[in-house]
Amino acid sequence: MKKLFVILALAALGVVLLWVVGKMPEMGDSRTPDKTHVVPRYIEDGVKEAGAENLITDVILNYRGYDTMGEVAVIFSALCAVIALLDREKRGVSRSAVDASQVRSSRIVRVTVRILFPVIFLFAVYLILHGENSAGGGFQGGAVIGASIIVFTLVFTLIESTRDIPLTLRVILESLSVLTFLAVGFIGVFKGVEFLTYILPGLSPGVAGALRSQVFMMSIEIAIGVAVGAIFTSIVFAMIKEENFELEPHIPEP
Amino acid sequence: MNWSRIFQNLNYAVSLLLFLMGLYTLAMKPNLIKKIMGLNILETSVFLFIVSIGMVDSGQAPVMAHGAAQQVVVNPIPQALILTGIVVAVSTTAVSLSLCIRIHQKYGSLDACEILGREVA
Repeated sequence: MKKLFVILALAALGVVLLWVVGKMPEMGDSRTPDKTHVVPRYIEDGVKEAGAENLITDVILNYRGYDTMGEVAVIFSALCAVIALLDREKRGVSRSAVDASQVRSSRIVRVTVRILFPVIFLFAVYLILHGENSAGGGFQGGAVIGASIIVFTLVFTLIESTRDIPLTLRVILESLSVLTFLAVGFIGVFKGVEFLTYILPGLSPGVAGALRSQVFMMSIEIAIGVAVGAIFTSIVFAMIKEENFELEPHIPEP
Repeated sequence: MNWSRIFQNLNYAVSLLLFLMGLYTLAMKPNLIKKIMGLNILETSVFLFIVSIGMVDSGQAPVMAHGAAQQVVVNPIPQALILTGIVVAVSTTAVSLSLCIRIHQKYGSLDACEILGREVA
């Protein structure tokens, strides 16, 4: 009965929204309001005003810098909430289901991950450092770093991972993004311009000035990438750890 | 119904379908993990919709290489907004999954009806 009601309500909503889709402007039309208001200026002057060739990086770090700073704070507070709920893992004590399992992951999987891990990590570094000039950026690279470490943890063990990536290191790295954002933002304030201005007034307008603003943006991107990677790692470690396992010895490899 | 326009705007229609699927999962499935999955499908549909709005016919990725002025590029703003949205979605998913872990530790179940029944009784 409830199911029928929900399906009917959703169908009614779907019909109304489908009618709206039929009334919307054609996809790919370049004359719709969202592309004629502020976007032409971003496309024309974005590289000059904001300093990066990738317009998305310009929008994220410069035109909407406050938004991105809030976003960094959001993911940091998500980490805080997860740790408040689940607590940190204890080094050398916390184990995951993989650690407690009697069956080790197959040798094929382990060798593949061992070969792929550095390549994935290198790709993440490329994404972070190339965020200004081509596709990529801090969040994307950080997500890839986090993913590579998660794969490592799931195939090898949590004990191993927490030994390689100790808590004391991650605690520093996690807060790096917010702090770097504030530090770079306040450089502009001390120079007498607005918060989060990368192109400072005293600089020569030529290549050197552009380089300086690139350094600011790149330091923010690197900090975001490292911090997002560390935060994802910490969240997953907190989620998969368990402390009350009946530990059974590993079956020795044949 | 303007069917030809709907087929031209196929991305919008597909995101509408995903939206309804997510909403149905969120409303009907008692399992909390499935509810979170439904929420994620719903969020994905919104991302697809907003990114599709920024599309321009034969537009390039919005990366202005050295000196290459006046090329047709897609709208960068939706992509930047969706980057923000994805991070927020990941954060909410992380928090809700850890809540699920605590709920399972306390009640031994992830079934919403079962948990509520026990709570009421």
